[in-house]
Amino acid sequence: MIRQDITIEVASDPRLLHLVRALVRGYLEDSGFSGDRVGEVVLGVDEACTNAIRHACGGNPEESFRVTFRSSEEFLEIQLEDSGEPAQPEAVEPKAPPEQPDAAQVQPGGLGLHLIHEVFDEVEFCPGVTQGNCVTMKLFIPQ
Amino acid sequence: MALSIEVRDSGDWRIIDAVGEVDLMTSPQLRDAVLASVKEGGNVGVNLSGAEYMDSSGVATLVEGLKSASEKGQQFVLVRPSGRVMKVLELARLDTLFDIREAIEGD
Repeated sequence: MIRQDITIEVASDPRLLHLVRALVRGYLEDSGFSGDRVGEVVLGVDEACTNAIRHACGGNPEESFRVTFRSSEEFLEIQLEDSGEPAQPEAVEPKAPPEQPDAAQVQPGGLGLHLIHEVFDEVEFCPGVTQGNCVTMKLFIPQ
Repeated sequence: MALSIEVRDSGDWRIIDAVGEVDLMTSPQLRDAVLASVKEGGNVGVNLSGAEYMDSSGVATLVEGLKSASEKGQQFVLVRPSGRVMKVLELARLDTLFDIREAIEGD
């Protein structure tokens, strides 16, 4: 059975990111995660929120996005939904840095998506047809 | 959670001490300090021992600093990055890109 545990509405304002990180940290620790794994997942959610603020909401604090935390016995799921500009499918493909990076070739952009895919066990993007985006990030609970 | 940036000189080096969290809100402060320091013309060391968090915008700033410095023949190093900073560099597969040091000579 999947429980919908927490839903919050967050203004598209970078000043609020640290508060969302604190909530994610607490939720994970409550669910039995610890150490590096908590830090990684906090980073992944923060990257998704950053993308919502920058790209979907255009940095406009009048806009907002929703973060929902769900859980079951097998997994935790964190979903972000916004009603901003839908992402193009190619924009949500993760761009992994090259295996042997050198400073001349590394492009700073696109790294956030790569980090989201690195830390979560499953990631699903569902851009709206005319409006909005949603990303669902799942991690399995070690049994 | 704020970010505090202090910039100081140590011999031939401009040292940037970044303490706190580097995210979308605070990374512009780090970027300003990095680019201004590179523009000064000397070697630049970013002390990240007190950086408790860093996201991709912070990593992008470090990459930008490294590229700018390299183009001008200047050194750009990371000094004692915290465990959290090393973790995000490893996840980004950029941990081998940077010259990482325990200390700057004379500092």
